[in-house]
Amino acid sequence: MNAIEIKNLTKNFGEKQALSGLNMTVPEGSIYGFIGENGSGKSTTEKIICGLIHPSGGEVKLYGRPHTDGDVRAKIGVLIESPGCFPGCSVWNNLLIQAANLGIKNPQEEVRKVLKTVRMEGAASNKYKNCSLGMKQRIGIAMALLGNPTLLVLDEPINGLDADGMRIMREVLIDLAQNHGCTIVVSSHLLGELEKIATHYGIVRGGKMIREMTAEELEASCPTFVALQAKDMPLTKRVLAEKYARVEEDESGYLRVYEAKNVQEVVTYLYGKGIIVSEIKRAKIGLEEYYIDLMKGKGDR
Amino acid sequence: MQTTFEKNGFKKRLTSMLKVDFRRMFTTPLYYIMVGISLVIPVLILVMTSMMDGMVSVDPQTGAETVMEGFDNVWQIFGSLSSASAGGASMAGGMSLTAMCNINMLYFGVAVFVCLFVADDFRSGYAKNLFAVRAKKTEYILSKTVVGFVGAASMLIAFFVGAMIGGGVAGLPFAMEGFTVGNFVACLLSKILLSSIFVALPLLAAVIAKQKGWLSILLSLGFGMMFFAVIPMVTPLDATALHVVLCLVGGAGLCVGIGAISTLVLKKTSLV
Repeated sequence: MNAIEIKNLTKNFGEKQALSGLNMTVPEGSIYGFIGENGSGKSTTEKIICGLIHPSGGEVKLYGRPHTDGDVRAKIGVLIESPGCFPGCSVWNNLLIQAANLGIKNPQEEVRKVLKTVRMEGAASNKYKNCSLGMKQRIGIAMALLGNPTLLVLDEPINGLDADGMRIMREVLIDLAQNHGCTIVVSSHLLGELEKIATHYGIVRGGKMIREMTAEELEASCPTFVALQAKDMPLTKRVLAEKYARVEEDESGYLRVYEAKNVQEVVTYLYGKGIIVSEIKRAKIGLEEYYIDLMKGKGDR
Repeated sequence: MQTTFEKNGFKKRLTSMLKVDFRRMFTTPLYYIMVGISLVIPVLILVMTSMMDGMVSVDPQTGAETVMEGFDNVWQIFGSLSSASAGGASMAGGMSLTAMCNINMLYFGVAVFVCLFVADDFRSGYAKNLFAVRAKKTEYILSKTVVGFVGAASMLIAFFVGAMIGGGVAGLPFAMEGFTVGNFVACLLSKILLSSIFVALPLLAAVIAKQKGWLSILLSLGFGMMFFAVIPMVTPLDATALHVVLCLVGGAGLCVGIGAISTLVLKKTSLV
């Protein structure tokens, strides 16, 4: 079953059309990386899923039921924009308030459990306003985890985090998906981080889903290449172009040879032409580059 | 694996929301500040007006003398007798200091309290969390109305206590002329019941203004003005059971009506 199924979703803010027929399918148990430029409609879609704004048209189903269904809603955990805590209250009390709102029977136990999950046991007595950004994001996740949600919708949860904060967040999200059976929709501009955790991707542009794929499909769409540097780059490029159909110079000054079988083949070929390679490596296109190319309209490689 | 969902009934949802709202209200400094103000205001009014009673001030330009008149009786701070309100004296009374500085002005305090309490929900993102995961808009309005009503009742009772203390300190007479203890209890009860309107109105303003607390205060003061003139008429010092019933029915009716509009506003507008 799909955790989220969206068909022809539209949303207008006055004259402006934020979503224009967006379709989206999030399989149960997946970590769905929701990607798009600023203003592409990611947050609007997430807010509609969470029932915070009303769609102008289309259909949103959560676990096969309308997204407005109260019983389904109770199984959603949300972190959109901010964790939604009272600044003057302690972390513990903020979580207790949310636990009470959810009607959790053993709130103290549940709060202790989620704090442990996000590795915040030691900061329970801290006032929310005194917490660092990374801590606040983790409190937001803890808040979203109360009530054992089956679906988590997280808007930019890793923004502003330091390297360690990102690592903890990554581990927490993977743990939730793998060990707690959570379906996670996570939007972020930090594609490198997203690539480390996502099992599925949805790329949105201009209020429309332009591509949905699994991590395996992305892997297959992202070819490997040999990247090299030599003293005379224009000459090297010309020589390589005689043998290989696709030779490109990238932004960091490397020549990329796409059809080469391996590094040795390229080195041998260039050596035979009298060109000495100063640096050479085998590399792969990542999500970020794939996304940028897609945005530029280059499509699949 | 098939995901199953437990049923969350209206009662369960409302009970948990009420618990949270009461917990929040009783732990927020705002509540104690407002109740504290309600307690102190009558003390200050009664003591200060008693001190100024009989003082003559002269206008330096016209030379006209004005004699300051304080409260004759502690009960004056709760309003006036219906017979006086019905006559021409009510207009003159409306212009005097004693008629202006009474318990009725507390309804504006109630409005401020409700506006700030609800604006805090939207400002902190708490309301967003609430609506995203569980709450129905009707339950939110219901819960806030009940909590706001209890807050308003606390403030009115604090005012009563403050008036007793202030009256004692100022040495004002506690004698009841033209009404009985029963009338006064009915008067206070009517005022408490009537406060439900002054909770529902700012609540409507607050859900319109969302996180803009200042806007909701302005709106609610505007809305409140429409009903303010009614208060002395329906809650006189010599109130009877009829006044209580009138305030109960009127308050509840308007509360339901305004609450329905508030719910509609929440349903039709974006919550973030």
